[in-house]
Amino acid sequence: MKLLKALVPISYVISILFIGCSDKQDFDQYEDLSITPTYEAAILYIETPESFINAITGVDIVTQNFNFDAFATDIFANRVIDGVITYEVENTTSKELEITVEFTDDGDNVLDTEVFTIQAAPTAIDRREIQYGDGGRPIDIITNTSNFRVTARNNGDNSSTSNIDDAKITLKSSAKFRLRLK
Amino acid sequence: MRIRNLIYMAFLGAGFLMQGQNKQLLYDFTEIPQSLLLNPGAQTDFKWYTGFPALSGISFQAGSSGVSVNDIFADDGLDINDKFRDRLIRGMDTRDELSGTYQLELLNVGFRGKDPDTFYSFGIYNEGDGIGYWFQDYAILAFEGNANSLNRKFDLGDLKTRGEIVNVFHFGINKRINDKITGGVRGKIYSGILDFNSTRNKGYFVTTEGQNNLLANTLVADMEMRTSGMNAVWDAQDEGTLGSTILKRGFFGGDLGLGLDLGLSYDLNEQTVFTASLLDLGFIYHANDIRTYTLKGSATIEGVEILPADLVNVNDDFYQDLIDEVEAFIPFEINDKSYLTFRPTKLYASLRYNFGEPVDSKADCDCGITPASRNRNRAKYVNGLGGQLYMINRPRGPQAALSAFYQRRFGNFMAIKTTYTVDKFTATNIGLGLNLQAGPVNLYFMADNLLAYRNVAASRYASFQLGINIISWGTK
Repeated sequence: MKLLKALVPISYVISILFIGCSDKQDFDQYEDLSITPTYEAAILYIETPESFINAITGVDIVTQNFNFDAFATDIFANRVIDGVITYEVENTTSKELEITVEFTDDGDNVLDTEVFTIQAAPTAIDRREIQYGDGGRPIDIITNTSNFRVTARNNGDNSSTSNIDDAKITLKSSAKFRLRLK
Repeated sequence: MRIRNLIYMAFLGAGFLMQGQNKQLLYDFTEIPQSLLLNPGAQTDFKWYTGFPALSGISFQAGSSGVSVNDIFADDGLDINDKFRDRLIRGMDTRDELSGTYQLELLNVGFRGKDPDTFYSFGIYNEGDGIGYWFQDYAILAFEGNANSLNRKFDLGDLKTRGEIVNVFHFGINKRINDKITGGVRGKIYSGILDFNSTRNKGYFVTTEGQNNLLANTLVADMEMRTSGMNAVWDAQDEGTLGSTILKRGFFGGDLGLGLDLGLSYDLNEQTVFTASLLDLGFIYHANDIRTYTLKGSATIEGVEILPADLVNVNDDFYQDLIDEVEAFIPFEINDKSYLTFRPTKLYASLRYNFGEPVDSKADCDCGITPASRNRNRAKYVNGLGGQLYMINRPRGPQAALSAFYQRRFGNFMAIKTTYTVDKFTATNIGLGLNLQAGPVNLYFMADNLLAYRNVAASRYASFQLGINIISWGTK
């Protein structure tokens, strides 16, 4: 009788361990899991004071190549889906200026160009958002870019000065890109 | 594919197995010799015992307090991306954890000394323990990114994890001090095979409006990951010497430490017993194959900045300068400094009321409800009812579990114990332990969170323990 009593809980345990059931699982759902975070960061800031512009004779103030390997790194280039580069150009000098930003690859080939022509102060800030991928410009431009070339051209004179303190032209920029991690 | 496998393993581990070191079924189950490992002051009546090497004590436990396999992979027609975001990324918080432990006895022997009130036991077991708290801000950063999170500080302190594999060599003395009190102490030597811990991280990552540029990214970090033995094991795996390396490190060729277990049983009256034990009061000094990784410092960047002074240095690599600057401000370094870790100390306590008919003891003694000599073992009753408390020291503070239990003896050949436990993992944990005695052969099997077997995939907590021993009570 004792043995019979003992067998009841034992059989219960064995039963639940062997016939333990589970709701239906679908592990193939993992294939549908999409992890696409969006990251943003500043990329380039250039500041040129009016005094520097006036000191340069000729039209071209400066032409400079900037190495920028961030877009070309595998971890970014292999995963980027789409994104936006935002520019903000402000001119508080007394002359019309033209800023050209060129995206170039390792072979110095120009992949993309953005031109800003900004009137003499007072003028509004020129803010531009350029879409890459997802209906915008080809995302390949970004993944192949390893340098920026920035050219500043003075369309005004070399003598006038702005009545705004600390007159200068500034180029601000940031990038916001969506990456596919899974 | 590797990531997929890892995620599967993590979820399956969390779902089908279970967490923690709480062995509420084995604790104070005095028919089983291994109960002495949970309370060196347990009331024993064995003459001697020996465990089957490598089979005397096997336990495995794992758990997840936040999410189960079913929560993510149930075939319920919901979009897995929604489930992943709502239940995992956003649904868990930094107190949720994925943790597990196993223990494998290699040797366990006990014998009664010349003084019948004193019982000695010794042995070796291998133990692994790991815990990782939900790294919420890292997960949000990985799943959603930092865009549109201006001024939100992502807390680097969310990374909190530790784990180890260690061999434990132990020797315990259990002594019946008087009619009411049985006390015990167990000394331990730890031989650490591998260890990793990263539990004191501080800092944040934040994106703000820039001073010059449109945005500024700031990283303030004070992070550390200490490891010991990891490289030796990885190298050994590459060289095909994994077995010998683990064996060497597990038998005093790795890190060494000392520890102590304390325990007592106190008969409040004829039928009521209070027990308590404090386990693994100890430390391991890691001085062998150390690799500590640190990331300390702070930096704010606003992209490549060309200021007026830079316009004359047209050949400078400003991007590389920026990278170098950040690395200088927040250096990632590796060192081999020794370090000390404290074992996860555990506390057990129980109050048991025994009732029903006394059971004839198998011990060679004058046992009974009123034993003639103080040296005699106290009688066991058919029924035992009571409550237990369990606490363990964890990186985010102590964790506790409360259990109610009922134990039933069927003569001297079988005993069962059932528990109902409430802890951070589940409030419906019912467990059942079975002890069988066939002559000198002792066999036990325990499992808990049995209700979860109705839907195994939804389980966040499960465990089992089993073992085989040979026990002698002497000749009557």
